[in-house]
Amino acid sequence: MAESTILERIVLVPASVPRDATYGDAADVLAASEQTGIAVLDADEGVVGLFGAEQALRGCLPRYLDELHHTAFARDDLDLLAELATRTRGEPIERHMTTPITVERDASAVHIGEVFLHCRRPAIAVVDGGRFVGMLDRAAFARAMILPAPGSAS
Amino acid sequence: MDILAGVIFVCALALIALEWVHRTKVALAGALLVVALGVTDLDEAIEAVDWATLGLLAGMMIIVGLTERTGIFTYLALRVAQLSNGRPVRLVFLLAGVTGVMSAFLDNLTAILLVVPITLLLADVLRISPIPLVLVEIFASNIGGTATLIGDPPNIMIGTHVAELSFVDFVVNLAPIAFVTLAVSTAVLFMLFRGSLQVAPDRVAELESLDPARDVRESRYVKRSIAVLVGTILVFFLHAPLHLEPAVVALGGATVLLLVTSDDVEEALERVEWSTIFFFVGLFVMVGGLEAQGIIDRIADLLADATGGSRTGEAMAIMWGSAAGSALVDNIPFTAAMIPVVDQLQAGPEGSDDALWWALALGACFGGNATVIAAAANVAATGVLERSGRHISFLGFLAYGLPITLLSLALATVYLLLFQL
Repeated sequence: MAESTILERIVLVPASVPRDATYGDAADVLAASEQTGIAVLDADEGVVGLFGAEQALRGCLPRYLDELHHTAFARDDLDLLAELATRTRGEPIERHMTTPITVERDASAVHIGEVFLHCRRPAIAVVDGGRFVGMLDRAAFARAMILPAPGSAS
Repeated sequence: MDILAGVIFVCALALIALEWVHRTKVALAGALLVVALGVTDLDEAIEAVDWATLGLLAGMMIIVGLTERTGIFTYLALRVAQLSNGRPVRLVFLLAGVTGVMSAFLDNLTAILLVVPITLLLADVLRISPIPLVLVEIFASNIGGTATLIGDPPNIMIGTHVAELSFVDFVVNLAPIAFVTLAVSTAVLFMLFRGSLQVAPDRVAELESLDPARDVRESRYVKRSIAVLVGTILVFFLHAPLHLEPAVVALGGATVLLLVTSDDVEEALERVEWSTIFFFVGLFVMVGGLEAQGIIDRIADLLADATGGSRTGEAMAIMWGSAAGSALVDNIPFTAAMIPVVDQLQAGPEGSDDALWWALALGACFGGNATVIAAAANVAATGVLERSGRHISFLGFLAYGLPITLLSLALATVYLLLFQL
């Protein structure tokens, strides 16, 4: 049977943490899921935030890096980085997540493409009637767009 | 209508001081009310905008923004820190010196945004608290910025408004007192902070091992950018004999830099802080409303009456009053309102005297050190600290800012009395 939406061709990974999770919880789920982003959910499984590789990096690097544009001279201070990572792990995820970006499960390829081009996030959440379904990875979406659909004439 | 103009301006100042709404939104809303309620008409409002100030600001933002991409300022800050060999006295004076000089020739807000992030990294390397060093840099930026026409927004506004005052006039009349004040203030701050700036020998070795040259962009770009920046500063020194307005020099430098480098114009124009430009537009329109309604004349008359028409009294009232006003509000709107007041005093029986302009510059710039909201550089630096997980409270800043401001104003008072009045 022919697919009706592009998302039917993509495996959506339901990687998420509840909103009362810590940065450490979210980092563990992110690492285990091998996704570029996971969702932060409320009690009704609505998406309240996203946590991706960028937010994970920000948590384990000095926060003034955002203000620095030249750091080639810097050397790793492993003790300091370890201390920072330990401190960050206990912080609430709400301090580290970004605002949620979601698309509906039946969204068109054009709409999803527009969202990815404009929001510049590596992964966004797919929802069905407001409930979280899974994470959609930008690279997976690009692959689905580039490669011919299974069974189609190439 | 005059009461309305005054109420709009005072409310705008209060909102800017309280920081409940972004200052640019406040200024634009104030300007809208001034025009919409008929305090001034649109033609007068457009005429009230000092386009030369905006041109100078935009030009310097482009030049500094593009030059910053070379990595040369990071290199300078890091080399200076290495020269200290981790000795607290050297570290404090060298960082204050480089911040002061960069503030004088780039502008103090840019200087602080370049130096503070590097300082946070240095403090991590040296395992010391960055807060004392950042405070030293904030105070140095406001004092150093006092030295030139382009160093601090109040000076930019005065210098572009008063055509007779050249870049050299600012340097000759303000740089000496700025230098003395910077040296004395830094010495006082060092005495207060020295206990928290002790560096372990292994950390000094770590600092020495950093290679700042690794961040400098390819040499042709660096040479062109630095040549244009230095050339622009030199032309500032010569703008009066060359009959070039400071805004023309800054915009000319920006244009030359765009022509000689391969930077994308769109990206270069992103370096202009449009929120600051529109903040100034709103302020100029509001102050235009005060002028149109005769409020500025009345303030000038009050000031002249209160000081008995004495030029010394007027200068002292302007300087100390501007410092107090800047400390409570923000030195930019306060200076915008004071410039026409000083204009009126100059038109009085005592005649024209540059000392009043120097009094305003010293009061507004030095007053910028008193509180955390008094100058844009303070807000920017404490914002960077906040984002890095460190906090300086309003009172915590005031505990150092107020004494430094009083010390600076005392030195400026002696200077004005001895050399200008």
